[in-house]
Amino acid sequence: MNLNIEKSNKSEFGTILEKSEPKSRPMKIIFDKVMPHPLSSIQHGANSIWGNHAEFSKGEKILLNASSGKGKSTFTFSAVGLRSDYEGEITYNGEDIRSFDADRWTEIRARHLSVVFQDLQLFPELTVAENLTLKNDLTGTFSDSELKDMLLYLDIQSKWDQKCRFLSMGQQQRVAIIRALCQPFDLLIMDEPFSHLDVENTNKCLELIDQRCDALQAGFVLTTLGEDHGFNYSKTLFL
Amino acid sequence: MLNKLLFRNQDKKQLFIAMTGAFLGMTFLITSIHYLIKVNEFGKGADILGPNTIIVQKKVSNSSSLNLTKTDFSVREIDKIKKEPFIEDAQPVISNNFDVSFETADPMVPRFRTDVFIQTVDPKFLDVKSSKWHWKEGNEYVPIIMPREFLVMLNTFMSASGIPQISDDLAMDVKFKFKLKDDTKNEYVDARIIGFTNEVSSILVPQSFMEYGNGKYTSDREKKITQLMISGKESEFGKVEELLKTKGLESKNSQMLVGRLKSVVGTLFLVVLGISVIAVFVSGLVLIQYMQLLMSRNAYEVRTLMRIGYHPKKVIGSFFNYFLKVFGWICTIAIAAFVILKYFLDDLFETGGLYIGTEISLVAMGALGFTFVLFAISSYFTAKKGIFNEF
Repeated sequence: MNLNIEKSNKSEFGTILEKSEPKSRPMKIIFDKVMPHPLSSIQHGANSIWGNHAEFSKGEKILLNASSGKGKSTFTFSAVGLRSDYEGEITYNGEDIRSFDADRWTEIRARHLSVVFQDLQLFPELTVAENLTLKNDLTGTFSDSELKDMLLYLDIQSKWDQKCRFLSMGQQQRVAIIRALCQPFDLLIMDEPFSHLDVENTNKCLELIDQRCDALQAGFVLTTLGEDHGFNYSKTLFL
Repeated sequence: MLNKLLFRNQDKKQLFIAMTGAFLGMTFLITSIHYLIKVNEFGKGADILGPNTIIVQKKVSNSSSLNLTKTDFSVREIDKIKKEPFIEDAQPVISNNFDVSFETADPMVPRFRTDVFIQTVDPKFLDVKSSKWHWKEGNEYVPIIMPREFLVMLNTFMSASGIPQISDDLAMDVKFKFKLKDDTKNEYVDARIIGFTNEVSSILVPQSFMEYGNGKYTSDREKKITQLMISGKESEFGKVEELLKTKGLESKNSQMLVGRLKSVVGTLFLVVLGISVIAVFVSGLVLIQYMQLLMSRNAYEVRTLMRIGYHPKKVIGSFFNYFLKVFGWICTIAIAAFVILKYFLDDLFETGGLYIGTEISLVAMGALGFTFVLFAISSYFTAKKGIFNEF
């Protein structure tokens, strides 16, 4: 199945991606005067989200541009509660995320906020199928055949039974992207997810992500080193 | 899937060593507790005297026969024995100072009469209900505890008279009577056997009856305490024996033998129990340490699982359940090994003349359960601490 999905012709694949769950109130993440301690000594631009006010709402597709060392991974880790060494306040729907307990974070990470980490965070000793199933089993979002369809679309279906450590970085990035889609979410945060992909595969991935976000009426934050991959974003922010 | 991910990085050799240690520790733990209880129970209920109780007297030597040394106990001597830390209690055995004979008084049993020697001991040494072990003037009968040799003698007599022999239970239904007398008067008092003893060679009567007889029929003979009843503390019989040796006292061999046997076997199992507790503790620690090692080897996996939406409780549950299963298997195999070991040990004890109870001790099983719960609690908290460190 060779899926050449265009914005105007996504019905064939759309049935898979349109799977969604009833939502609670839309998620809004606010970075209010957030300044990570390791970045406090660096000079940030006037339009940087560090030290300023920035909002990330459900449904928005945001490009977050920054050069190296400006805190793209710090942004990702801070937004999903993996680090809290910053001044200022990050809120989800008005609540300071530093007050969240394990129950709350688990619910958020499983159903509201999905992430593609820069280092991918796959399990190298598990197969592609096992990596995807491990995530997918949490919410039962897709069937095996639907997972395989997505792999096929990204040209890695033959890797289904292969251990992730035997895949190239580009292939692993595609697996990590599919894994991030295997859950309901309001916002998908991606930390340089296409760094090892060629233009064609980047476009396919972006297309897949866009469709899934549309199906869920969700948004994404894509951090890059400056490339916009020719996508029409809701807004562009800077670090 | 989760287990496949988390328990991939195992050091099977270390797990095997920890499991073997825990298995041996658990097996010896339940075995030693079981036999410690069974050995201490040995003798209980079989005799009307307490299990660690003996009657002692001074050794009769040539000098005592010539009245050069005393064979009776002074109050000071008794007090000194009482104060020994391994002595539970020591009380004089009071004997009759009057003439008394004992005879059958039942039409079903041929007449049998003999002069006897009666004694009384403090009731706390006897395993009888106080309501049964009581007499006052005017009562229907005197309750008595009979030396088992007497029943053997009675049965020999019955057999010789062509009458069927009688059992313990039947003997308790036979009516007997005492004849108390002095030079001027005599009196019959009915008696009934309420129990038997292997340890005393005279008929035991309640203190009140002895006081009555000694008061009413006593001769001018001086009242001397020649025997003491001593009860030693559990597993300290060796010290009692040592005391007897130092003070030149002697006891009935069978009493000494059982006490010595129980003391030696009890001490042996106490040592094994001590070693087992240490072994279980150490192997438990090794297993817990192995769990920590496993968690640290899988720190990346644990962290990533929680980052993609797995609840820490689910990950804790995986480690907890895995180690609970491991310890469950250890306990099950330990029980199986104990049952096999018990089969041989029971046989060994029986061959050695120690007829201990063969039913499995509930306390030993309780100890196993307690250890399991203790391990479960420690492994849960270890898993919880390790996992939340990665959250």
